[in-house]
Amino acid sequence: MAFGFKRPIQRKGPDRFIINLRGDLRDVIAAVCDDLLAALDDEDATHHDPMLRRVFPVAHVSDEAVNDAYRDLVHSDLLRTRREALERVSATAQDSELDRATLETWMIGLNTVRLVLGTRLDVSEDGSPQLEPDDPELPAWALYEFLGALVGMVVDALARTS
Amino acid sequence: MTEPFASDVAPVEIDEPTIDTTSLVDRPWIVLVWNDPINLMSYVTYVLQKVFGYSHEKAESMMLDVHEKGRAVVSSGSKEKAELDVFRLHEHGLWATMQQD
Repeated sequence: MAFGFKRPIQRKGPDRFIINLRGDLRDVIAAVCDDLLAALDDEDATHHDPMLRRVFPVAHVSDEAVNDAYRDLVHSDLLRTRREALERVSATAQDSELDRATLETWMIGLNTVRLVLGTRLDVSEDGSPQLEPDDPELPAWALYEFLGALVGMVVDALARTS
Repeated sequence: MTEPFASDVAPVEIDEPTIDTTSLVDRPWIVLVWNDPINLMSYVTYVLQKVFGYSHEKAESMMLDVHEKGRAVVSSGSKEKAELDVFRLHEHGLWATMQQD
């Protein structure tokens, strides 16, 4: 049996990246993007749902006038660019090769999913807790760790210059 | 510290013996990035390079400041520029705020 390990995200040139991921992992990528897209359908939730506050943050720590003006100015743009990124990742999840712009969209889209999941799991600087095998939160933590590994590999591939 | 809410944040000390309206208007805005337990260190460095065109060394040093000191100033300028910078950082999922220096 050969352990022919291929780097999951492989840079082939400045604008060409090979994606070596199993089909079931690609299905997970599309599914988490589609799930978050469905949550963003509820426009009201994008303003008030505490699970989404991390992806629609305030602009000032205390000045509500600045925050109101900022929200009026950017909220719809932020929602639109988030949706476009998630749609693009979902649509290209099965592709074996991506250009740089699309891989950067993967980075942003998958990181957005990770931020929402991390907020739900109330992630702290201490990292993942020790969970029992039958803990109901185990699948969510496994997904969070998977997305972290994937975003890290995408960043490494994008940052590599040769 | 996980969130830059007012109750967790020490007030910024501003040394200003006299206040006149001209200096209030002219004082630049600064953009801060706050430490958060979710974003990867390599991700934050890459985003600072991409959004501001900083070198890897400069972006990494800012990221380490964020990580170790809880926050770092990443840009400054007019209110409009600060708003745009905060928006671009928010698009990338960084925890950014703006305030008048």
